[in-house]
Amino acid sequence: MGFQQYKFGAAGIGLMFGFSMCITLLFPANDFRSGISTWVGLDKQLSLGRVIGFSYEDPFVTGAGKPIVVILDKDPKTGAIIDPPQRAYVYNPGIKFAPGINHQEMLGAGVEDLSKSIGKIDQSDMASGAVFTLEKGEFNGDEVDYIVNASVVRGWTPAGTLKAAGDENTRYVAKGKTIFVTEGCWWCHTLLPEQTQDWQFFGAPPYLGDFNGEMPTAFGSDRKAPDLLHVASRNSSREWMTMHFFNPRLVQPNSIMPRYDYLWGKTDAKGNTIDMNKWRAEYNAYVHGESIYPPEVPEPRRDSEVRTLIDWVLTSLR
Amino acid sequence: MLMKFLFAKNEEIPAGSATIFFGFSSIFWFVVGTGLGSFNAAKLAFPDWVTGTELFAFGHMRQVHVLAVILGWISMAFGMTMMYMTPALGNTKLWSEKLGLWNVFIWNVGLSLGLILLWMGITSGREYSDLIWPIDLVVIFGVLLPLGINVWMTIAHRKTQGIYITNWFFGACIFMLMIVFLVGNSPELFNLTGLTEAYMTFWFAHNVLGLWITPVAAGIAYYTIPKLTGNPLYSHRIGHLHFWSIVAFYSTPASHHLMSAPLPEWLKSFASVEGVLILIPAVAFVANILLTLKGKWSMFVENLETKFSITGVLLAIPLNMQGGFQQTRAINWYVHGTGWIVAHAHLALLGMSSFLEAAAVYFGLQQMLRRKLYSLTLGNLHYWFFIIGFCVYWISMTIAGLMQGAGKIYEVPYIDVVVAEHPYMIARWAGGTMVFTGNVIWLYNMWMTAREGTLVPKGRYAHELAYER
Amino acid sequence: MGWKFDQPLYCLSDEQEQKEMLELMEKTKFGGLSEGNNKLPMPLVALCGLIILTAFMITQPIWGQRPNAEIYTDFVALMDSPEVQRLATGEEKMKFITQQAMAKATGRTPGDIERHPMSWNDLLNVSASIKEVQAGGGQYDLASYNVIGNRIQLANFEGYVQANGLRERKQPWFDKGYAIDIFYVSYFCLTMVLVIKQLPHFTRKPDMSKAS
Repeated sequence: MGFQQYKFGAAGIGLMFGFSMCITLLFPANDFRSGISTWVGLDKQLSLGRVIGFSYEDPFVTGAGKPIVVILDKDPKTGAIIDPPQRAYVYNPGIKFAPGINHQEMLGAGVEDLSKSIGKIDQSDMASGAVFTLEKGEFNGDEVDYIVNASVVRGWTPAGTLKAAGDENTRYVAKGKTIFVTEGCWWCHTLLPEQTQDWQFFGAPPYLGDFNGEMPTAFGSDRKAPDLLHVASRNSSREWMTMHFFNPRLVQPNSIMPRYDYLWGKTDAKGNTIDMNKWRAEYNAYVHGESIYPPEVPEPRRDSEVRTLIDWVLTSLR
Repeated sequence: MLMKFLFAKNEEIPAGSATIFFGFSSIFWFVVGTGLGSFNAAKLAFPDWVTGTELFAFGHMRQVHVLAVILGWISMAFGMTMMYMTPALGNTKLWSEKLGLWNVFIWNVGLSLGLILLWMGITSGREYSDLIWPIDLVVIFGVLLPLGINVWMTIAHRKTQGIYITNWFFGACIFMLMIVFLVGNSPELFNLTGLTEAYMTFWFAHNVLGLWITPVAAGIAYYTIPKLTGNPLYSHRIGHLHFWSIVAFYSTPASHHLMSAPLPEWLKSFASVEGVLILIPAVAFVANILLTLKGKWSMFVENLETKFSITGVLLAIPLNMQGGFQQTRAINWYVHGTGWIVAHAHLALLGMSSFLEAAAVYFGLQQMLRRKLYSLTLGNLHYWFFIIGFCVYWISMTIAGLMQGAGKIYEVPYIDVVVAEHPYMIARWAGGTMVFTGNVIWLYNMWMTAREGTLVPKGRYAHELAYER
Repeated sequence: MGWKFDQPLYCLSDEQEQKEMLELMEKTKFGGLSEGNNKLPMPLVALCGLIILTAFMITQPIWGQRPNAEIYTDFVALMDSPEVQRLATGEEKMKFITQQAMAKATGRTPGDIERHPMSWNDLLNVSASIKEVQAGGGQYDLASYNVIGNRIQLANFEGYVQANGLRERKQPWFDKGYAIDIFYVSYFCLTMVLVIKQLPHFTRKPDMSKAS
């Protein structure tokens, strides 16, 4: 008799483990699925591509195989002026698309319909690459943002778009976020402002639709430094960022952030070798009060890692 | 010698060798893990200490520290205890020593590989499940599955009727951890994105703690305390209450880690109630162990292993009081994301769990080597370095966390918080370094035990013998 | 590796001990497991009950630090009054408004107002949008908005989907999570009683033929 009782009890609790899995996995999945992508969400997934972090296309996590964001002030095909300038997401031939392009159902109601009917994203072809843009439209009386495959709709080619934008309007956002992940910036800087007082300081909290298609989200959990979700709204100076990454103590004497001078690579923008030992000696002299000014921070190369990181910070974290 | 045994016949491998290799591996990883921790803490206190190379950058080292401690020290110590407690509690031999040795071999190789990749920055970018998915698969099928098979088969071949509570924990937790690893890494395996990914990250992080690290450590205490004191366990009923309430309550409150993310609110409401209910297994565990100790409290002072073990059990009290209440909406907004949580995480892993495992590793290695601990003085030195270092760390990080919380509420510019935290960061580094030093002493002590410890006669326990040094 | 495994150990118990255990197992009803097996002490049961009670009480009502824009209603109403206009600086104005609003409000609102002060400039900026929402232009009422700096924004609160297809953006007094909790805990107590009351009876006959 006692054994029967125990058997029932134990089976009951085994069932409870099943309940717990349902409650914590299955039920929320329905809620997540109902999220409708916002502009932020669409912008994030288009600019970051399929996945940041380890993947088939980028096994060494260097930022290979990622889309490029450009800011267009003229139409790459017709040359007509675009005012205000518009973001376009360039997928060169062979680059894997963002999840929402292949799995349109994850964009959410309305966004999916418009992206397919007007945006023609279901005609996207990875082999020939594509350029995407974001537009605002109306669906059942609500304003929604949707994706447009500009390669199909407007005939923009990836190469032509990159050329029309030029280097000064090109932002290596996905590569930048890769650096954010591999360098472990998110061990100290969260990407999730917490409740109320935090919002007053670090900006608005994100919505459910702000995350569709992002992987990894890298919220971080252990904050030793300011939240960065809206950092570019507080400080959008590229010069400040450059100095701060090279040696944070140049602009913020009490900072405990590590120096990221190694993201500059071996040479600076003019192709001169960066003499790190000399720089450090001069910097130490400045710290000890032996010279009045700190040494100049080398200008980063256009293809340096720090440039992509600053691109991401200034373009995505608004 | 490991190589020789890997290809030997199972019958020719001396019993206990898997335990011994697991034991020394775990101590080695503990030294590595706490060494990295101490190094990282130094970087937070003195950011200009070692610079100019990404290999010694904080962002490259932090996750290596976390996973070296979790998968190296704690999980390998679990493996070690499973290798000797499971058969001892079944009055039988380990099902396969050879499988055990292969297990420890693959574990060390896989973990080293994973950590080196992480160090190089090859990561999935997801906290606690940082390891890239091929390594995750190695962990599931190369590490956990062989461990599980060994433990389950040993339990099945037991020469007792009932299954003691420790073996319940061992058998069930390996199974649950495999599920947790598979489901928790599904975003990487199946490219799930967005909030699902964020939620799964913390579902994994929570359940690794709740269904592996805390319950297995508790299961270990259910063995060591009765064995060391000679008192039978106070009550199996309470043990069962503990076991089943872990399964029921610890598997549910994952979303309390993301209280300020736009997760469905009902999920957070659910999680915060369940989060408080984890006090039920905690109360059952602590009460059961402390009642078992009745009449033998002098051993807390006299006996090294009991000292470690009971310290771990006592630390479970503040751990669960913090853990239960800090996750409710009423408190979470103040402490979330601050050093308080860092202190709490170290209370769980370095405090409660590590003390329990250290006791079991001390006890098991002496038992299996049939040698008495080389030096009591060094053992005590280890204990005091460990406990003082831990307390310095815990208290300083708790204070730093409360300051951070206040800074958050009163909208203090963040840099002022950084300045105010500086002394506590130095204290943190000092505490961590003490723990590291203690562990180096431990490794030396254990090594010398293996070589020169007094032989324990057959039929006696090591802790019944007097120390020679 | 310099040590030797002398006297390989197969079992931690010695032979005498094993024999005693075997006898004990054969003699007793519950496989030796329930020998000297104490019942749950009453204080422990009471403590578990207390924990369950606490768990619900500390999380109910559902309150986080999420004050909505409604707590500033009186601010907006008072800002154009002659008393406020007469005061010279923004600080004085805000002090006066805050005092008035706190005196007037009831329930948790005074505390919320105290913890979430607002500057005169922010109030000037935010008042227009608060009035707009109050006028009923949007799909949500004022309680569904947060004040963030100098603007209002829809709360990121993922409540139920309402009849009009929109998500609820304010704190309910009760939700699905609690309902599941109540079911879950009751179910747990029931199964736990079954499990604890009687530990299993074992009929397993271990294979004692192999030496170990």
